[in-house]
Amino acid sequence: MHISEGILSGGMLITGWAGSCAGLAIGLKKTDMNKITRTALLSSGFFLASLVNIKLGPSSTHLSLLAPMGLILGWGVFPAVFIALLLQALLFHFGGLLVLGANNFIMSISSLIIYILFGRLIRDSSNKILVTTLAFISGALAVIIAAFLVGLFLTLSDSNFINAAKLIVIAHVPLALIEGLVTSFIIAWLKKSAPEFLS
Amino acid sequence: MRSKIFIALAVILFAAGELFAHGTGFKVSELKAVSLEFFYSTGEKMSYREAKVFSPKDSKFAIQSGRTDENGRFAFTPDSIGQWRVIVRDEEGHQCTAEINITEEQLANHGKNIINAQSDSPEGLELFIRALLGVSLIFNLALIIRRHHAH
Repeated sequence: MHISEGILSGGMLITGWAGSCAGLAIGLKKTDMNKITRTALLSSGFFLASLVNIKLGPSSTHLSLLAPMGLILGWGVFPAVFIALLLQALLFHFGGLLVLGANNFIMSISSLIIYILFGRLIRDSSNKILVTTLAFISGALAVIIAAFLVGLFLTLSDSNFINAAKLIVIAHVPLALIEGLVTSFIIAWLKKSAPEFLS
Repeated sequence: MRSKIFIALAVILFAAGELFAHGTGFKVSELKAVSLEFFYSTGEKMSYREAKVFSPKDSKFAIQSGRTDENGRFAFTPDSIGQWRVIVRDEEGHQCTAEINITEEQLANHGKNIINAQSDSPEGLELFIRALLGVSLIFNLALIIRRHHAH
């Protein structure tokens, strides 16, 4: 889901960096430094998830774990995703340094939206079926929101990307379903074994 | 009358010439193409991905574009010496840049394909080491922040 270097217009690169910097400032302020190891753990998970390829017909994609990150870290998702994306760009050549701001903004804001929409509901609910269902929806929705934002950034950079943007959203529907399943498993396990992670 | 026949013949010949000029044809080129294979760090082929070729003379506008085949292969025929770039990218933002240095000797020696391409993304053990390095860096950073915060 990373946008490559050299695709976005200057305006969208600046927009991405502005949104990313604002999110990073709030995220760092709101992150409990005593729980920084948790942030590091999830950042590592996100960093490594990009190496897990999933075959989707003739194409393939990789996990993002956007929803679990948002539900566990809240605003702290901004610094966690930023570090992971920076290392992915430097070590694996995914995305790039100039486009890092846009990529960080797109992925972090998708996670944050999930946190705002479902965070409290999942945390407070004791109904297993409801929690699993909400976790599935949040996992799938996070991917769709991120794909939509990637498409939006591309289209606002160049209107010729409109068809590519539509394709990106459609192509991510199967991944959304897989992410929904993975998220529901992770959240169900956390609710049972380590509920403090969702507090 | 003769002049009219002559003009009619001239027109027919001219039209025929034009027709031939707009026809198509092919021959097997003696030039040796540079054939590249693109793949992900996991070893999976970059099949049917967008590919663009940039010549040493113009690094902004691609002189050739297309898609890789099922096996992630893409070929082009260099016609000048210098650094040629082939960029293959997918819709998810993964990008591989192959930089091919064409020397005068290679250009002259069309019969032999002696160009070495370099892999853009790490793979195998190198990928594992880089992944380990990344995780290590993240946790070390967290440790530094935690210590700094404790002080």
